[in-house]
Amino acid sequence: MPKVLMDGNSAIGEAAIRAGCQCYFGYPITPQNELIEYMATHLSRRKGCVFVQAESELAAINMVYGASVVGARAMTSSSSPGISLKQEGISYLAACELPAVIVNMSRGGPGLGSIAAAQSDYFQATRGGGHGDYRTIVLAPSSVQELADLTIRAFDLADKYKIPVIILGDGVLGQMMEPVEFKQEAPAVLPVREGSLRGAKGRPSKIIKTFTSNPAELEEINWSLFRRYGLIKKQETTFETFMIDDAKLVVVAFGIAARIAKGAIRNVRAEGLKVGLLRPITLWPFPDEAVKEVVKNVNHFLVFEMNMGQMLEDVQLSLEGKGEVSFYGRPGGVIPTPSEVSRVISRLYYQKGLK
Amino acid sequence: MKTNAVNLIEQEWILPGNRTCPGCALSLAYRHTLKALEGQCIVTVPASCATVLHGMYPITAVNVPCVNTPFASTGASATGLVAGLKALGKKGITVLAFAGDGGTHDIGIQSLSGAAERQNDFIYMCYDNEGYMNTGNQRSGSTPLGAVSGTTPVLGKQQYQKDMTAIMEAHGLPYVATCSASYPLDLYEKVKKARTIEGTRFIHVHTPCPPGWLFPFSDTIRIGEMAVETGLVVLYEIEDGIFRLTSASESLALKGGTLQPVREYFISQGRFKTITEEQIDELQNWVNARWKHCLHRATNL
Repeated sequence: MPKVLMDGNSAIGEAAIRAGCQCYFGYPITPQNELIEYMATHLSRRKGCVFVQAESELAAINMVYGASVVGARAMTSSSSPGISLKQEGISYLAACELPAVIVNMSRGGPGLGSIAAAQSDYFQATRGGGHGDYRTIVLAPSSVQELADLTIRAFDLADKYKIPVIILGDGVLGQMMEPVEFKQEAPAVLPVREGSLRGAKGRPSKIIKTFTSNPAELEEINWSLFRRYGLIKKQETTFETFMIDDAKLVVVAFGIAARIAKGAIRNVRAEGLKVGLLRPITLWPFPDEAVKEVVKNVNHFLVFEMNMGQMLEDVQLSLEGKGEVSFYGRPGGVIPTPSEVSRVISRLYYQKGLK
Repeated sequence: MKTNAVNLIEQEWILPGNRTCPGCALSLAYRHTLKALEGQCIVTVPASCATVLHGMYPITAVNVPCVNTPFASTGASATGLVAGLKALGKKGITVLAFAGDGGTHDIGIQSLSGAAERQNDFIYMCYDNEGYMNTGNQRSGSTPLGAVSGTTPVLGKQQYQKDMTAIMEAHGLPYVATCSASYPLDLYEKVKKARTIEGTRFIHVHTPCPPGWLFPFSDTIRIGEMAVETGLVVLYEIEDGIFRLTSASESLALKGGTLQPVREYFISQGRFKTITEEQIDELQNWVNARWKHCLHRATNL
């Protein structure tokens, strides 16, 4: 299929349809409105597919819960304040081992914050977010093409591991337009997902539950969740490296910040500074092995995020005290330019005596 | 004495230069609401066009204190404001909860209903532009049958509007009223009356929205008037259970009660471009039945 020019939100919508998404439940919030409107126009026309505009974010996530229980591929989307409202539902989905795809086109916070792009939901996304001991897979795209590709991957991961998957984008990715290519057509029929409740005729009933009065039983449920999380960590951790082979300083950044960092690194490379980039694509599981690999050759790290230092903690945990970590953060929806970041990089580079 | 253009309070609490779109009915409704409260109020506003009107700190055109509350929580934050003022012994300040139709009919109904059941002492005003206009026009529980929006793009909305005022009346409130921004003096009178009453008071204001409803900026007042003349909006108040028609709706009833056909109203707005003849007939029947019911209920005819 040839490339088409699309905004990020619509690209997620198209990719979700091609991934076999059958149910979409949305609620208006900027900057993800193009996605709900795309699904209203395109998903609602497809046979066997359902679009519902919910009356709140709370309703939308629990519509996903209902659709997922009976075995439909379901998704919802929102932006930061709305994602906060969805957290109880996400916790229930995790407890019941139900697949779901949740898109967060995050914006500046706390509170109503701003409608500009920010990355301040990293903690919320990677630590579970709601109550209880659980994790969700978190995918962090950095281009419109990757938004589309990771949306398809998100549905596969959700079904494979029976887990809610979060796509953590931001207002810029959602609203900017880029050429994007969709590599697959929507499946004609989806396989029946194991574990979904579709009637018990001729077999014993299946039970999906989110409450037990027996702590020992709940402990076993938690153990089994975390055994699966271990498996996900082993099999699904992904990251990208950029100009890292001869680097003396490595920038660690995700999502749109990594995109800015790439521009900055090209700038400083032109001045002869040996700088590379490590970009986690899965924020949970975090690519800690990749960080450990880099620190064998590189001693200096610069974590760059559009927040006050959240992924920074994961980098520090991965390094286990090795290496030297600096941080540059811009909170509140401020988007620094590549030249601002390159100034930060070169100042650090000279301060540390790398040249 | 009835309020008229001459004796209306001159002082303004919305100063020139706010961030609403040209022809916005909300700013007109809000302006007369604050006049009726003489600025002696604390406003709580969820995410909505009203937050846009208020502007970004420190630049604001509004001269009263305002709390920006989460979308689902207007009724709850008003309850908290009333409780806080009581605890501090402050008197004579009206708490005004001011939310749009999405924040009232959809996500905010739970906290509003809770507060109304407890009879918490504030005025709740819903300005109804019949959709999520602040996020670029998606359908809400108040979007009319047949209206096209970002999330009802092809056939228009297939459901009727939710009658929020009737739902609030069912809470047994001491004062419930409907207004239109096209009749600001009627609105002013109603807010002024509500100010003197204790308990939860609910006021619904019809606020036409040029960019969302797709009509020229210059036609806002006319569109609001047409809604009343066709009976799609009925202006009334219910004080302690006693129903009265007011303003233009009262005059219509006293002149024999003949409504204009709803068709003209639908033709006047781009959002009804896909409405069908059947839907227009259906809505005409619905309007006729409701108008008959209002005439029957009205105690002032």
